[in-house]
Amino acid sequence: MVNETRLVDQHVGELLSGFVDGELTQQERQRIKLHCEQCDECRQNLAELRALRDRIGTARLSDVGEDKWRETMNDMTVQTSRGIGWLLFIAGILAVTGVGLYQFIVEPGMPTWMKLILVAIYGGLAVLLFSVLRQRLIERKTDKYKDVEI
Amino acid sequence: MKDYDMRQELVQLGNGAHALATQILGNVDDAADAVHDAFEKTLRKPAAYDASKGPLKPWFLHVVRNRCIDLIRRRRRPGVVDVEELSDPRAGPDSSLEIAQRDHELQLALTKLSTEKRQIVVLRDYMDLSYAEIADVLEIARGTVMSRLHRARLLLKEELTRNG
Repeated sequence: MVNETRLVDQHVGELLSGFVDGELTQQERQRIKLHCEQCDECRQNLAELRALRDRIGTARLSDVGEDKWRETMNDMTVQTSRGIGWLLFIAGILAVTGVGLYQFIVEPGMPTWMKLILVAIYGGLAVLLFSVLRQRLIERKTDKYKDVEI
Repeated sequence: MKDYDMRQELVQLGNGAHALATQILGNVDDAADAVHDAFEKTLRKPAAYDASKGPLKPWFLHVVRNRCIDLIRRRRRPGVVDVEELSDPRAGPDSSLEIAQRDHELQLALTKLSTEKRQIVVLRDYMDLSYAEIADVLEIARGTVMSRLHRARLLLKEELTRNG
C-alpha cells in the first residue's frame, strides 16, 4: 500500500497538467481524481494550475491587433500587384527601346557620325537618369528618418 | 481552402503568432517581421497547406517558428526577451490598469523561463493547441510535451508567486 502510494506520488506531478488540459486517458483521469481526493497538496496544485492556465489564456501577450494584421496583408497584395505593374512597364520600355535602337542602327539615310553624336547625347542622358535613380534608391533604403512624420 | 477564408483565419492568428514569435525572438518588432514573412510565405504558396492533414493554426505557427529560427541564425544571438520591450502596464485603452498590471507581471515572469518553456506555455495556454499539435509545431515527441509543459508551468507559478 505504501509503495503504491509512493508510485502515485512520483507520477502524479506532470499528470496534473495532462488532467487540466484534458489530455489523459479515462484510466489516468480516474487515478488523478482519486489521488487528489486524498492529497491536499496535489489538489492545491491542480487548482493553481487551472488558475494559471486561465490567467495566461485571458492575458494580452500581443498588442498588435487584428486591424494591423489585415493592413499588413493588404499591403502585401498591393506590393505584389505594384511589382507586377513595374515589371510589365519596364519590359515594355525595354522592348520599345530595343526596336527603336535597331531601327536607328539600320537606318540608311543618316551618316555614321551623326548616329554617333545622337548615341552620345541620348546615352549620356540615360546614364545620368540611371545614376540619379540609383542614388535615390540607396537613400530610400538607408534613410533612418524616412518614416518620421513631421 | 479558399484564399479569402485563409486570409480571415490568418488575421485572427496574427496576435497569437506574434506572442509566440516574441517569446522566441525577444523583440516585438522582430516578431512582427517574422509574422509578416510567415503571412507572405503562406499566401504566396497557399497550396503548401494541406487542410486534410489538420487545422491551419498549428501549421501556420510552425511556419512562424521556423521563420524565427531563421532570424536567430542570421543574427547569431539567442532570443532574450527585452523587459523594456514588454507592453506598458499603463497602455491599452480597453483594459483596466489592474488587468494590464497583471499581464505585465505575467510577461515579466515568462522572461525568466527558457525559450523552450516559454514557447510551450504560449502554445498550450495562450493558443490553446492540443499536445499533438504542440508536438508538431515544436518538432518534439508527443510524450515530451506533457512533462516539459508541466515543468514550465511550475516554474512560471513559482516566478509569479515570488514577484506577486
